[in-house]
Order: sequence, then C-alpha cells, then structure tokens
Amino acid sequence: MILPLELLIALVVWGTFVGVDLVSLPQMMIARPLVAGTVAGAILGDIPTGLKLGVVFELLQYDILPVGAVRYPEYGPATVAAVATAHASAGVLGLGLGALVGLVTGLFGGLTINLLRRVNSRIIHNAAARLESGDPSALVRVHVGGLLRDALRAAVVTVFGLVLAWLARPLLGGVLSVRGAVLLAVAVVGTALAAGAAGTLRLVGRGPNLAWFAAGLAGGIAATIWLR
Amino acid sequence: MAAVKRPLALALLRLFAVQGSYNYERMLGVGVGVAEEPLLRDLDDGKYRPAVARGAHFFNSHPYLVGLAVGAAARAEHDGAPPDQIERLREALCGPLGSLGDRLIWAGWLPLLSGLTLAAVALGAGWIAVASFLVVYNIGHVALRWWALKAGWTHGTRVSVALHHPVLQKAGALLGPAMAFAVGAALPLTAAYLSAPFESWARVALSIVAALSFLGFRLRGDRLNGLRLSLALAALALVVGVIWQ
Repeated sequence: MILPLELLIALVVWGTFVGVDLVSLPQMMIARPLVAGTVAGAILGDIPTGLKLGVVFELLQYDILPVGAVRYPEYGPATVAAVATAHASAGVLGLGLGALVGLVTGLFGGLTINLLRRVNSRIIHNAAARLESGDPSALVRVHVGGLLRDALRAAVVTVFGLVLAWLARPLLGGVLSVRGAVLLAVAVVGTALAAGAAGTLRLVGRGPNLAWFAAGLAGGIAATIWLR
Repeated sequence: MAAVKRPLALALLRLFAVQGSYNYERMLGVGVGVAEEPLLRDLDDGKYRPAVARGAHFFNSHPYLVGLAVGAAARAEHDGAPPDQIERLREALCGPLGSLGDRLIWAGWLPLLSGLTLAAVALGAGWIAVASFLVVYNIGHVALRWWALKAGWTHGTRVSVALHHPVLQKAGALLGPAMAFAVGAALPLTAAYLSAPFESWARVALSIVAALSFLGFRLRGDRLNGLRLSLALAALALVVGVIWQ
C-alpha cells in the first residue's frame, strides 16, 4: 500500500479523532466502525470498501457492551486501517486482508486503552493531595493531561494499523492463493455475523424481546429472499 | 436563572469530555469534578474548594447521564447540604444512573440505530444511511445530556424524582423491542450484502463458519469472544490459504 502523504496524514488525523471519540471526547459515535469505515473510504475515494469493512467491524462491535471498566478491543482506528488495506487490494483479497489487519489493530488498541487507564490511575494517585486541596487548575490540568494522552494513544494505534496495512499486501498478498484469500474473508465475515447475532441475543435475553427479535429475523429473511 | 445559564452551558460542554481522564482509581471522578466546577464558582471562598475536591472523588455511571449527578451535587452544595449527605447522594446515584444509561443507550438507542443503519446499507442506502445515523443518534445523545444536567440542577438532593420521569420509563419500554426487531431484521440482510462477492462454495463455507461460531459463542461465551475467534479462524485460513495453492 503506497498512499500519497496527504492521504496518510488525513487517515492518521481521522483515526485519532475516532480513537478519542470512543471514550474521551465527545462520544458522538464517530468511533462506530460504520462511521469510521465510511469516512476512511471517503478519504481514499473508495466509499464502498469503507462501507463493507465498516459493516464487518460493526457486527463484531455487537460483541461488546462497554459497561463499567470492562476491557474490549478498539474497532474504530482498526476499521480505518482495515479500509486502507482493502483499498490497496481488489475484491475478496482486500476484504480478507483488510479484516485481518483490522483485527490485529483492534487487539492492539484494546491493550493500549487498558495501559492508558493504568497510567491515568498512577498520575491521579500521585496528584491526590493537589486534588484534595480543591485547586481547580490542578484538577483541569490532570484531566486535560488524560485527554492528551488518549489522543496520543489513538494516533499511535492508527499509525500501527497503517504500518500493518502497508506490510500486509507485499507480505501476504504474494503467498496467498485466490482460494486462500476467499477463505480468509469467509473466516472473518462468518465470525462477524455470528458475533453480531450472539451479541444481540445477549442484549435481548430470554424475555418478551426475544419474540421481537424472531419477528425481525423472519422479516429480514423474507426481505432478503424477495430482493434476490 | 439567567446568571446560571453560562455556568450550566460550560458544565454541559465539559460533560462531553467527562471520561477524558478515565482511570481505575476514581473512574469518572476527575471528569465529574471538572464538569461541576463552573457551577460552584459563585460559592463562598470557604465552601468553593472543598466542594471542588468533593466533586472529583470516585464516581462511575453512564457518561450521558453523569450530568444528573453533576447538577444535583452542585445544587446541593448551593443549598448548604452537609458534605456527608452530598457524598452519600453521589454514591447513591452511581448504580441507578449506570443501569439506566446502559439499558437506554448501550442496549437500546445505539443498537437500534446501528441495526437500522446496517439494514439500510445492505439495501443500498450507502453513506447517506451512515450520515443519518450520526445525526439522529446525536439528537438523542445531546438532548439526554442536557436534560440530565438540568434535571440534576433543578432537583438537587431530591434528584431521584427525575429518574422516574415518564419519558424515561416509556423510552425504556419501547427501545428494547424496537432494538430486537431492528437488529433481527438487519442480520439476514447484512449476511446477503457481505456474501454477495463470494462464489457458491464460499457461501456454503460462510454459512458453516457462521453457524459453528454462533454455537461457540452461545456455548462458551465465557471464554470466546468475536476478536479471539476471528483471529484464530483468520490464522487458520491463512495457513490453509498458503498451503492450498
């Protein structure tokens, strides 16, 4: 993947915004893979690829309920890297390689979130005396420091994903057969669909909403058959 | 009231970054303190600093509803409530605000709109569906943040009244079924959309992988998650793909 410098910068900036939106600011859901992927696709002039990988990672996102201090992979910047990978390789090979790069980036992103929270804990622990004095400027400094660290973290995750995207095509594209590329795409798309269904069923539970889920599923199947 | 508008607006703006220093020691506490601070500025010197320090103590809840605690605690400080009562109020709000927000947003509003967007994209609506998702989601998001802050500031220590607001009750009852229906309908449409470029043998393989993965998630959901299984299957597919030329 060789992209012009201005496109790489735009992707890093977008990935950073996406990474910061997940937890810190402003949680307006640009971190959702559907949004992150579509805009990354628009930056590359390839919205269909952005949408497709956005849909794959959006399904994987259903696996996560971000309650309390739960640990989870970070699929926003991961989707940006996935789209950059897929853009460089056409068709199913792009989908498979893009998804692979996105998964590894998502795993790395999740680890950095946990690390950042630990670093924040230590800094806040050390600043306890200043915070207990009620000094508003100390409070704001500690908080803004956390925001800036998250921005740096998101930028690092995006760059990591784009480096993987740059490596994926020459390292894997050459040795992978066409059937292998299809298998790779099948593995990730199949798991994403299953994760979407299982995650939704966890939200739905066994109560009356299960009937609504079944009704929706039946309607979706009917619409799919009718549209073929 | 006009004099309060500016601090309320400032507190609202700061609430958008309430998780900026999220950590395992005070969770959202520091962000809550930062958001509450503008509402405390007109307190006497002797009361201002202790109130700011209290505001930054441990707090955890759903980020969109934190405003309720920020407004209520700030109002209680103005009303001269004893410090231990304010601490108890904050502690008492963590659980209810967390569970209400999780139910309304993470398990309702967000997956509902995400499901509708997935279905719309699968049906060919393209980026317009994604843009609509962002706009509609954030109308609800910003409205909830603003309502929470205002309700907290209005009710103070009696803020539990706001949690029984009929709109919240009705939204809770409607969002669950709507989310279940929308995502249920989106799944087959999305499967058809994603499998469109595959040949027939690959579609059969996709069905098998999806079915077995689903069974795995249902039976061993405690150990398996989407990321782990995807990575494991992708690694396996890579090995097979290199060998099977």
